[in-house]
Amino acid sequence: MLTADEAADLIQAIAARQDKAAFATLFRHYGPRVKAFLMRGGSDSETAQEVAQEAMIMVWRKAASFDRTRAAAATWIYTIARNKRIDHLRRTGRPPIETEDWLTVFSPEEEDADKSVLAGQTYTRVKELLGGLSADQLVVIQKAFFEDKTHTAIAEELKLPLGTVKSRIRLALGRLRDVLEKEQEE
Amino acid sequence: MSHLAPEELLLDYAAGALPEGPALAVALHVALNPVAWRTVQDFQAVGGALLDSEPAPAPDEFALQRALATLDSTPVEAPPVPPKAIPGFEWAPAPLLPYLGSAPRWRKQLGGFESIPVRLPGDTHRVEILRLMPGRGLPQHHHNGLEYTTVMHGGFTDSTGSYGVGDFAIGPGAQDHEPIADVDDGVPCIAMIVLEQPIVLTGPWGRWFNPLVKRGWL
Repeated sequence: MLTADEAADLIQAIAARQDKAAFATLFRHYGPRVKAFLMRGGSDSETAQEVAQEAMIMVWRKAASFDRTRAAAATWIYTIARNKRIDHLRRTGRPPIETEDWLTVFSPEEEDADKSVLAGQTYTRVKELLGGLSADQLVVIQKAFFEDKTHTAIAEELKLPLGTVKSRIRLALGRLRDVLEKEQEE
Repeated sequence: MSHLAPEELLLDYAAGALPEGPALAVALHVALNPVAWRTVQDFQAVGGALLDSEPAPAPDEFALQRALATLDSTPVEAPPVPPKAIPGFEWAPAPLLPYLGSAPRWRKQLGGFESIPVRLPGDTHRVEILRLMPGRGLPQHHHNGLEYTTVMHGGFTDSTGSYGVGDFAIGPGAQDHEPIADVDDGVPCIAMIVLEQPIVLTGPWGRWFNPLVKRGWL
């Protein structure tokens, strides 16, 4: 197991001194998870392998952009894997616009710096809260995040009315966000 | 009171499930609106937690060796510097810049507004940046499909409310709407409009133009 702090230390070691051992530890933990995430999204094993490989190399390349006060390591790696998947799906004739440049890096200038200090705690709380969701709620959330499906597609697949899917996601996210917002206000 | 994108749209964005057009509209919203930004950060934290909670598959030593072999020729990059603003387009948030090209030009349109089309080869949405001088309106119209609007400069008002920088509006306008650029700011209203389908003009003259709109000429 890799804690959020350990993972953040590893990414910083890559940034500070191109630490290959740190990369190997991260890769052993996240490489297979990223591949599993991509396969849940409908990629075949070979494509998932290739995209996961690209995502992990991106973790190396972009290590200096990682800011542990802004996002937990797992969150950062999730966004890189997600963006790689988007790039892969959108790849047409032209060079893809590197989505991570706008999906990850920039934040509003007015953003309250104090709040971002809580990124690590937010992540830990989210992880605990996910454990407390009902199976019904967890399945819609997983589908939304991993299977690259819009609400409408999830509703069709689960043979549930769109309103039901929306309210399940809303309930689950509502519980998460209630707790997060309370913590951010404190 | 700011106008936020619906939470489920922010979630679909955080999950990477939106087509490029709507994703760009939300990206601009997120870049300009701190509350939307925070919400997306939280949703991404959910994605990270789900990724971390995946049942641990066995490490793939072969894939690791392959990755390690490429690292010597793969430098760790310096953090990105914010892209340089384009003269005359200082209002454009960073996510928009790659789509503008090096020398974007406003085109005058019938109806007294200007626009810059944004081409997304992989997406069927019609995407345009519109500029309305203070006090000017768009021709009255309604939508067949969904319409996403992100205000990037100035503001506008229609029957649903007033929208300022960073605000997000989502149609279908069940009823016709007629947005008018606000005068108070003294600056033009600049917004990105992402349309699922061509709009239908409903004013007295508008119907005549519909065939042109359908062909993408207006």
